[in-house]
Amino acid sequence: MTRFRPFALLITGGLLAGFVMVDVRAQDAPASAATAAAHPVPMLDLRKQAPVQGNPQAGADKAAVCGACHGPQGIAIAPNFPNLAGQSPTYLYVQLKAFKEGQRSDPVMTGQAAPLSDEDMRDLAAYYASLPAKPAGKADASSRGGQLYLSGDPVKGIPPCQGCHGPVGQGPQPRWSSAPQPAWHTFPRLEGQSSIYVGKVLGDYKSGTRGGSTNGKVMQGVVESLDDTDIQALSTYINTL
Amino acid sequence: MSKRQLQLLPLMLLSLALSSMAAAQVADGSDTMRVGDMQYGNALDPRGWTPVMAPGQEGFSWLHAGMLRTPTGALYPYPRDASETPLSAGSDWTYWGLLQLGYIHLNGDKNAEFFRQYSDWKSGFALGYFTLNFDNRRTGQYVEFRGSRISDNDQYYRLRAGKYGSYKLEAFYRDMPHTVSTNAYPIWNGIGSTNLTLPASLTPGGSTPAQIAAASAAAPRRNIGLTRTRTGLSLEGELYRGWVGSAAISNEERKGTRLWGGPMFFAFGGLAGGVNETVRPIDFSTTDINLSLRKVGKVWRFVGTYNGSFFRNHKDHLDYQSPFQLQNVLGLPQVANIYQGEYSLEPNNDYHNLRLDLSRELKWNGQFNVAAAWGTMRQNDALRPPVTCSGVIGIDMTPIGGPNYTVPCGNWNTTAALSQKNANARIDTGLFDARVNFHPSTNFGWHAGLRWYKEDNKTRYLAYNPLTGQYGYISENGSQGSIVPGETGIFDPRNPLYWSSNVTVRNVPYGYTDTLFELGSDWQFGRHDSLGVTYTFDYNEPKYRERKRVDEHRIKIAWVSRSLGDATIRASYEYAQRRGGHYNYDPYTQFFSESLPGFVDPATGLPAHTVADMRKYDLSDRNESKARVIVTYPFGDATTVSATFYGNRDNYSTLIGRQNTQSTGSTLQWDWQPSPRTTASAYLGIETSRMGIANVGDSDAADNGAGLGTPGQTNPNLGGPLYPYANQWWEFDRERNTNAGFTLTHDFGRVRTDLSYNYSGSLGHVGYNYATIGALAYRGPGAAAAAGDGFPDNKYRSNTLDLGINFDFTRRFGMRLFGRHETGSFTDWHYLGLDQTLSYGSRIYTDKGPQRSYSVTLLGAMFNVKL
Repeated sequence: MTRFRPFALLITGGLLAGFVMVDVRAQDAPASAATAAAHPVPMLDLRKQAPVQGNPQAGADKAAVCGACHGPQGIAIAPNFPNLAGQSPTYLYVQLKAFKEGQRSDPVMTGQAAPLSDEDMRDLAAYYASLPAKPAGKADASSRGGQLYLSGDPVKGIPPCQGCHGPVGQGPQPRWSSAPQPAWHTFPRLEGQSSIYVGKVLGDYKSGTRGGSTNGKVMQGVVESLDDTDIQALSTYINTL
Repeated sequence: MSKRQLQLLPLMLLSLALSSMAAAQVADGSDTMRVGDMQYGNALDPRGWTPVMAPGQEGFSWLHAGMLRTPTGALYPYPRDASETPLSAGSDWTYWGLLQLGYIHLNGDKNAEFFRQYSDWKSGFALGYFTLNFDNRRTGQYVEFRGSRISDNDQYYRLRAGKYGSYKLEAFYRDMPHTVSTNAYPIWNGIGSTNLTLPASLTPGGSTPAQIAAASAAAPRRNIGLTRTRTGLSLEGELYRGWVGSAAISNEERKGTRLWGGPMFFAFGGLAGGVNETVRPIDFSTTDINLSLRKVGKVWRFVGTYNGSFFRNHKDHLDYQSPFQLQNVLGLPQVANIYQGEYSLEPNNDYHNLRLDLSRELKWNGQFNVAAAWGTMRQNDALRPPVTCSGVIGIDMTPIGGPNYTVPCGNWNTTAALSQKNANARIDTGLFDARVNFHPSTNFGWHAGLRWYKEDNKTRYLAYNPLTGQYGYISENGSQGSIVPGETGIFDPRNPLYWSSNVTVRNVPYGYTDTLFELGSDWQFGRHDSLGVTYTFDYNEPKYRERKRVDEHRIKIAWVSRSLGDATIRASYEYAQRRGGHYNYDPYTQFFSESLPGFVDPATGLPAHTVADMRKYDLSDRNESKARVIVTYPFGDATTVSATFYGNRDNYSTLIGRQNTQSTGSTLQWDWQPSPRTTASAYLGIETSRMGIANVGDSDAADNGAGLGTPGQTNPNLGGPLYPYANQWWEFDRERNTNAGFTLTHDFGRVRTDLSYNYSGSLGHVGYNYATIGALAYRGPGAAAAAGDGFPDNKYRSNTLDLGINFDFTRRFGMRLFGRHETGSFTDWHYLGLDQTLSYGSRIYTDKGPQRSYSVTLLGAMFNVKL
């Protein structure tokens, strides 16, 4: 159990992050940039990422500390934390890997992921993916957020989110095509994520603090065209998915 | 397209594909305003953007692993890795740029014609490349500039600016050289002007061959060629609620020289005329104006365009002095000393074209397009006098009891000798084009089209001299009638000497009406195969031609398949059959003096216009087959191999004229892009072509039938007295062209290298056969023995090896060292012997032709600064 001791910090860190989220985001950006300049971190290339498999049961044993913030069943205890239940296992795995390798930075998670082995990350990912997702809400497709999510805004150059995250946020549902396919399994499911968390993530993409992976680059390109009102509308809509 | 757009593009496409809801119509980005060049490059870099091509590690997309391929399987190149710098802290504007400046050194046969053909290489400083780009990510505004300069005559600069989806403008300037010869020795003074005069050592109309040969030997070497200077400006933007307008103007100045003729009648077969290879000036301006207005509505789409092109020739004639002494065939004292020749060069031309396009969507996933256009081309220059001579032309046969065939120049060297002072030439065109296509299901579609086009030549000119009441025009500056009695080129219904002269008196206002109907369909079989069938019927009605109607049925079948592994196969076959109405071998009577009142048939009748069994190749019955197979095969993520095989066969149904043509070719290409750091490609292309022609010589002398000048000359038939079977001859042309190339680039980090090799070779052979010696122009035993069965082969080969190394000293500063070694060889029987002398009896040539072989090395060093 020694190896999981750092997870104890997650509770405290996660709570702190919830209260000082805005400040942390503001301070994190220059720090991250400075670190990157001193020790350039290679970009996490997810374009050839194979689907991840792990041992859910082993993951359950290793997830005790995680539950402090993300909830015992993967439903977060506070809206500033993401729900992990029912999430894509590959997405969860690459996020842990990004925290560990430095492409993604967070005052709490960076430290928590540092001692994890590759097997640990796979098991944890498999465990949370196996949990039932948060029940769906009542989304208003006619709202501004619904329009952005479902149709985008071609005039502003905003593609519809559902293209990669699925029509109801349960992940992509690609049609058959002979064209080269992206690594669909690395895209997160958004259903039921809190508006506060979604707003934070979109803000991170916009500020450039989450561009360390190829998927991050994609999201940077998308978010660049979103203004604060759009982000608010989208966050609200996704919360109701 | 910026890097960010490239990154977003796949995502946008992906999202739209997945989305069940249609996106709103985005701005139409078609380039209706474009009048400039599509490609801006030069011999340093034909592509025009190689210096900035530092491929990025991220490839084409953040979404897809490896590189994307075209729908047929070819790899896209790695996109540029541009590092853009903010213009200032907090600014939305970013910029990037490159300056490449250095020195080029040439060694070897640097004046070789083929080396300089389209580039003005010089040893000295050169601006290899300069580009500066500004982008505003927030507003979509951009400014791009790029340029390169090898010399004053070989440079380009282009500026583009605009705002995506809103407006754009472009301005450009470029000089492009075109060298025709680097081995010319004209004997005249005034090269490049409209007046060529002989040097003091020669007497116009009175020099001996030896004097002319000496003047040629003493003439300095000159380059013959021209420079195109193009400038342009274009604008495009939204004018009002979806109405997009564009305006563009460009101007091209062509200045220089070109090898030209200078006839003083024949100087072959004992005729003492004179043949001069002169040099004419090139001083052209062409101004193009393009205006367009378009609207993409919810139902209809509209485009209206105006195109105007205005050609001006600032040197519209060429006067030249001929050194040769003319001598009439009778050996009589030469009363006409003709040594001044004149060409009327290209006239000014105004062109206007108005076009309207309308299209709308229909049911069953259909679309309807209709276009109508009207155009007119007009020339109305002041006409020049028929001749520039003074004194008389012609031959006085009275000393031997014959007629006096002399003509006073004063009746013809003035514009008063013309029936009209200006050309008043005009051709109008009309176009109507309608097309519908439907795709009622994803597996089936069909289309139909009807296109009507008319070219109406309204030009009418009668060659009539009101001063003399005569028709026709003085041929060959008066030299022909001064060598052969009576062949002055004029018809006079009141003068027995000329009332049987059958000469051209009217222009032929060629024109045509063409109606084209097309019906086609395509089917998709499963996910991997599609088949398309298209039938076209072309109904052509030429004016003043041998046929009043020519129609062609054509069917084309195309098959595209991806069912054989990863390969994409595109195969097509088409067959066409051309037929037509009655073939009249001589529809031109009305344009000759034989149609005028007062024409008297010669005692032996008029010679046939041409052999009645000839069918001109654009009108004769023809069966045509074309087949093509293109195979593209991707190996893994990094390799593509593609091959093309094609063949065309045309067979003409005629005894005399073009018999058949055929071409067969194949290409093989290999592309390898294992990573952004390494790319390689190889290419091989081979094509062979053949053409067969059958013809017959007229029997113009006792030793080949003696039909001409006898009553039998009116017989146009093959096998008759004028065109006996014995005078038949056949030509067999064949040509083989081969091209091969190899490229390799590799990025070692701070050092990047590139290597390329290109080979180009061609072999041309003109072979012939003839029924008897009567078919030959020279019918002496020696000439027949020397004739053999063909001309010597023409051969052309060139090899070019390029090597380049780029060093990055710092992130910003670097150096490029590069070299090119080019060799070539050339053999063309047209030029045989001209390297020894350009003077042959009464013929003086100017161009010795391209170098038989050459070898040249180019070395360059460019200092690079990333801006």
